[in-house]
Amino acid sequence: MAVGKPLRQLGLNSERVLWPSKGPGKFETEIENLEQRVGLTTLEKAVAWAHSKSMWPDTFGLACCAMEMMAIVSSRYDIARFGMEAFRSSPRQADLLIVSGRVAHKMAPPLRQIYDQMLEPKWVVAMGACASSGGMFNNYTILQSVDKIVPVDIYVPGCPPRPEQLMEGILRLHEAVQAGVPPAYEIRSVAS
Amino acid sequence: MTFEAVPGVIETKEAHGETTLVVDPARLVEACTHLRDADGFNFLSDIAAADYLGWGSAGPSGYIGTAWGRDLNRPSTAGYQQVPAPKPKRFSMSYHLLALEQPPRRVRVQVWLDDGEPVPSVVSVWPTADWHEREAWDMMGIPVAGHPNLKRILMEDDWEGHPLRKDYPIGGEPVRFSEAE
Amino acid sequence: MAIAPDRPRAAIYDGSRIPQPVPTVLHVPEELRATGDVLQVNFGPNHPSTHGVLRLIVDLYGEEVVGLEAVVGYVHTGFEKNMEQKTWWKAITYPERIDYLAYQNNELVFVLAIEKLLGLEIPEKAKYMRMLLCELNRIHSHLIWLGTSALELGAISMFWYCFRERELVLDLTEMVAGTRMHTRYFQAGGLAEDIPPGFYAQCRTFCDWMPKAVDDYERMLSRNKIWLERTRGIGLLSREDAIALGQSGPVLRASGVDWDLRKVQPYLAYDRVDFEVPVYPDGDVYARYRVHIDELRESTRIVRQCNDVLEAMQGEPWIADDRKVVLPPRHELHTSMESLIHHFKIVTEGYRVPEGEVYVTIESPRGENGCYVVSDGGPKPWRVKFRAPSFVALEATATCMRNAYVADMIAIVGSLDTVMGEVDR
Repeated sequence: MAVGKPLRQLGLNSERVLWPSKGPGKFETEIENLEQRVGLTTLEKAVAWAHSKSMWPDTFGLACCAMEMMAIVSSRYDIARFGMEAFRSSPRQADLLIVSGRVAHKMAPPLRQIYDQMLEPKWVVAMGACASSGGMFNNYTILQSVDKIVPVDIYVPGCPPRPEQLMEGILRLHEAVQAGVPPAYEIRSVAS
Repeated sequence: MTFEAVPGVIETKEAHGETTLVVDPARLVEACTHLRDADGFNFLSDIAAADYLGWGSAGPSGYIGTAWGRDLNRPSTAGYQQVPAPKPKRFSMSYHLLALEQPPRRVRVQVWLDDGEPVPSVVSVWPTADWHEREAWDMMGIPVAGHPNLKRILMEDDWEGHPLRKDYPIGGEPVRFSEAE
Repeated sequence: MAIAPDRPRAAIYDGSRIPQPVPTVLHVPEELRATGDVLQVNFGPNHPSTHGVLRLIVDLYGEEVVGLEAVVGYVHTGFEKNMEQKTWWKAITYPERIDYLAYQNNELVFVLAIEKLLGLEIPEKAKYMRMLLCELNRIHSHLIWLGTSALELGAISMFWYCFRERELVLDLTEMVAGTRMHTRYFQAGGLAEDIPPGFYAQCRTFCDWMPKAVDDYERMLSRNKIWLERTRGIGLLSREDAIALGQSGPVLRASGVDWDLRKVQPYLAYDRVDFEVPVYPDGDVYARYRVHIDELRESTRIVRQCNDVLEAMQGEPWIADDRKVVLPPRHELHTSMESLIHHFKIVTEGYRVPEGEVYVTIESPRGENGCYVVSDGGPKPWRVKFRAPSFVALEATATCMRNAYVADMIAIVGSLDTVMGEVDR
């Protein structure tokens, strides 16, 4: 991830300014060779890269979607390629909350408590139709979308979504993180 | 298999290959004990409560053009081809029993209750009835007399109302742009 | 040289261990509570080992569990009320999500109840295909059970092995029904669509591979010292207690009761296929594990037999011919006015099921799965109640948990094979 410009284009004054016909000095040539081998970047981008490459999910499987969430850990879909096979049971150690399944009214306080116990930065993926919007259950007991109580970054539709669909959602989250999009709790609140 | 010796039976019905014994609620425990000990029904499969409020109120289905008519925009609310016979009381509790033998025998013991009328608990006969009766109380509001631990089981402890009753609304949120607004 | 002294293995007990006065709650004895050493711990709804959102309020005296209460309802979805709002046809999508590991079995029990009320005969091909899919689903359910239970007891690699076979099962399901889980493939009258031609060969490959996979699992666990230590003599449930507590399925068969609804009350075509029912007398977690492993093998046998029968039945109808209930084939809509009217009425209004009440039971991977349906003669169900075997299995937790340690609790709750979607409905 080199910045892509040699130092002289960044306005570094050197003897060349005073001596226009002189080419790059020994020091500058060494720096150029070094740039080609070492990534130079800003601190934010480095941190975002680290966040996205080892974003550990929390075990929050509620219903049918949890089966497909377990399938992404299995050998065919293998989320370990993206550094995420370590599902942490404790929310204190987790970065990503994949709400997989229908959230009943009774489960809403534990869900919010788990979310609050996670440390920043934290992301939420609403997996499946029930977590995204209540799904086929528009009734007295199912929360019509989990974004009523926690701010959600990515919604993955499906009933249940295929493991590949969930991975697509997670990878788009990684791209968003690397592009510098802040987690949902910074840019939006819960739905009304 | 005849059920004449079972105490408290008001009526016996046979339909779809299943036998239903309608029993007087006051003598339910006696009837169940008899069925378990004398007739060998040692397995309680399920306790199902049903609410018959509004049974048959959709009326008979008419052709388009009759006075009652049919709303083509809501076709699945059309009435019946044959109005069902009225039920004796509002609630029914059906106890599905099974005898674990070859060939298996099944029977349904049914009691009819009004709103608020308690039904005696059969936990002393089959311990598995514990949670089924709690669910009947939670979902339908049928009080179970003599139950050792009658609390809500599926809803929160402080929930008001009994969700599976017919006068309890389905709830949820209105789906936008779905009705003629 | 033993690292830790062997615990004497408990044998099946006499009498009843069902707690009194509440059969499902273990109360802490007063003398223990007076010592002040009893700690109440919450195994909350979010826990890696509780197979979904089960909450156990556990009283611990050191490592021993002396008090237990299960709190359920954290995924109560209101299925039964939702199904009353939908027509019979649309309501079939709901039961699948109740027991989300054995989704075909839930569909089957509801569809069988509708067909019983309608008095509808289904073609042979539909019977065998339903049986094949339900047995594939049984394999799927047992694989997930085995993978997650072993994972909780520390045999972590079992998870990956079992899920590898699960993918093969789901490939077959996807080939037939278009989706991996929650297929909505059963209709009142038979199947939604015909069986694709490439299915038979792939199913045969699966049936050839599966026994070797089960051999692998057995090689890893069945004589593994750690597995034996953690599962033998744990979670004892005697015959009489199991029957009194309404247990069914593998839990009942592991307590020595030879009871399988597929044999004693055959539905579909189970009386025409050849399979054994594993029964073990020990009543502990290891016996339940053995029942599950043997059932994996037996289900593969049934799948193989059904596959052979179905391959010979290619070209036969897959759904009944009753146009009042079943959609007519599309090519008829162009030529026949009656078909068009039937299609219109079935799609808009839905078919009507005659008035009555039935209770249908099948053998799902967890036990006796029942469906009580009350119809008022209209296009929608009046009352649907599902008898969930996991609901009843959780009632037995308190009895199984006598003299158990905390580590055993994980093994016991896992061995009862509960699916919380089914418990809470």
